[in-house]
Amino acid sequence: MARTINYLQAINEALAEEMRRDASVFVIGEDVRVGVFGQTAGLVQEFGEDRILNTPIAENAITGVSMGAAMNGMRPVLEIMFCDFSMLAMDQICNQLGQWRYVSGNQFPVPVTIRTAIGGGFRMAYGHSQCLESQFIQTPGLILVEPATPYDAKGLLKTAIRSDDPVIVFEHKKLIFGAVEGEVPEEEYTIPFGEAAIRKEGKDVTVVAVGFMGYEALGAAQELAGDGIDIEVIDPRTIVPLDEKTIFSSVEKTGRLVVAEEGRVRGGLGAEIAAMASENYFSFLKAPVQRVGAPMVPVPGSPVLEDLYLPDKDAIVQAVKRVVQGD
Amino acid sequence: MAITNEQLTDLYRKMLMVRVMEEMHAKLLQSGQIELMGHFGTGQEAVAIGVTGPLSRDDFLFGTHRGVGEFIGKGMSPLNIWLEYFGKRTSLCKAKSALHLGDRQLNIPPVVSSLGSDFSMAVGTALAAKMRKTDQVTLYYVGEGTCNQADAHPSMNMASLWKLPIVFAVCTNQFCELSYMSEHYPTKDVAPRAAAYNIPSEIVEGQDVEAVYEATKKAVDHARSGKGPYLVEYKTFRMAMHYSGDPGGYVKPDDLEAWAKRDPLEQCVKKLSDRTILSEQDVLKMRDEVQAEVERTVREAMSAPDPIPEDLYEHVYASKEVI
Repeated sequence: MARTINYLQAINEALAEEMRRDASVFVIGEDVRVGVFGQTAGLVQEFGEDRILNTPIAENAITGVSMGAAMNGMRPVLEIMFCDFSMLAMDQICNQLGQWRYVSGNQFPVPVTIRTAIGGGFRMAYGHSQCLESQFIQTPGLILVEPATPYDAKGLLKTAIRSDDPVIVFEHKKLIFGAVEGEVPEEEYTIPFGEAAIRKEGKDVTVVAVGFMGYEALGAAQELAGDGIDIEVIDPRTIVPLDEKTIFSSVEKTGRLVVAEEGRVRGGLGAEIAAMASENYFSFLKAPVQRVGAPMVPVPGSPVLEDLYLPDKDAIVQAVKRVVQGD
Repeated sequence: MAITNEQLTDLYRKMLMVRVMEEMHAKLLQSGQIELMGHFGTGQEAVAIGVTGPLSRDDFLFGTHRGVGEFIGKGMSPLNIWLEYFGKRTSLCKAKSALHLGDRQLNIPPVVSSLGSDFSMAVGTALAAKMRKTDQVTLYYVGEGTCNQADAHPSMNMASLWKLPIVFAVCTNQFCELSYMSEHYPTKDVAPRAAAYNIPSEIVEGQDVEAVYEATKKAVDHARSGKGPYLVEYKTFRMAMHYSGDPGGYVKPDDLEAWAKRDPLEQCVKKLSDRTILSEQDVLKMRDEVQAEVERTVREAMSAPDPIPEDLYEHVYASKEVI
């Protein structure tokens, strides 16, 4: 039986269920007992302060603490409040966490889940608004997850917590603050990594839209339908591992590819998928791949400027029109 | 409780093993038989061996890149160390870690490359020990140079805040890589910093393995009994350069001369002889045995199989399909 819950409730349920299921799971982070955005709110009542552990403000060190706990039999779920602050923990995440299984010759797996809030739209300017997923693409050993719906948020977070690899779950602030709702089963379920979701089928253009950009892409689909253009919208759901098969089966059908992300374009997910397309699937393409993403500037604070900065439905519409030009 | 004759003999034998292994590593480098450079801990063996002496097998040890001391001290086999140093397929870290020694059976996570990244990891293993009620102590063995890393601060802070079973064992060898400690510190000692976190501390003579052992034992017992962290600072002197290719020239000859007279191995031999635990003959015999063991394990490691190309892609993730 499905019921409708919001994105925050989905995350909260996943945490509570996994903590009930496995005594080694615990939540750690800054102000998690209250829950700054609400994902962890109320958990302390059921699980107590030992398992909902507030930390001092020290992102790099609390990431290291989580990693150490994972080396000694625990499964920490660490909250890094804003993804921008994860840059303070880049040593722990990229030099250590991602590479630890390998450098230790499989002796020390580190099952740490990091949850972190990404994205703009709240006029919080440069250091509280970025989408920095691509910063982690270069690090081996990390799983990168970006759920866009309550269903995915719950199912993927449960998989992350049970995973023996370190996982970063990116939660977009528009989904958190917007309390975006969706159907979620009452019953237990998990979602495997590496399986994209086709949000809308279409025959003319494949639009790969990560995270919140999926909603912008669905908006673009409606508008483009008026022009007789039928796009297929694919949400990768996990950036690493990436569901190459679903993406390029779609491209084989449509012959056209647009990649949309809220992060900056240079060296981003779009660049990576475009490179895959030209290396391995060039014969599928009827037009050059187009990227939609943020420009190479910091996120500005002014509403006027931030709206210009953020890639949106219109940017996707324009990119789709570029790839169908000449038809 | 005073240290037993057997314990002191064992500590000496381990110091000797460390000295001989590091001399061997230097020789192998000179003759071009090994590619991995050495960061030797000559002169500070009493600290590395003394601090690890009171640890039980299940306790966690975070060691350093400087030589093999604490690893031998916690019980790692010379063969496993050489296999890692030569990058062999049968090494514990499966040819991946080189000088970053790690041994799951002994709860020694790999040494980190960026100094001090393990400060907070050590707090994490201690946190897990407390949560799981395992009775394990974590010994975080660190140089004074690394104590200036930013993470020293939140790590000691959290260790004390949460009253964790951890000992910060600071080996002050007077050098922070290629600089005298005085170029990095406005103070003579590291230990007073502990007071800021409400962590008890002690400064100990680092050339005397017995003193190191006993001070550490007290700190480990304190941590194990649930009283929270403890910091011990051991004063020693690094007779070796920072690493084997180090340009050198920054150590005052007077210092080298003065500290050469305080060699920890010689001091221990004197003690063993004064207490009639070992005769001069016994010591010579032990040296021969250790030398033979080192030569044998080097030969064995050198003839061990190299990794195969497929190993490059092994153990990045739990499943190979993710890469």
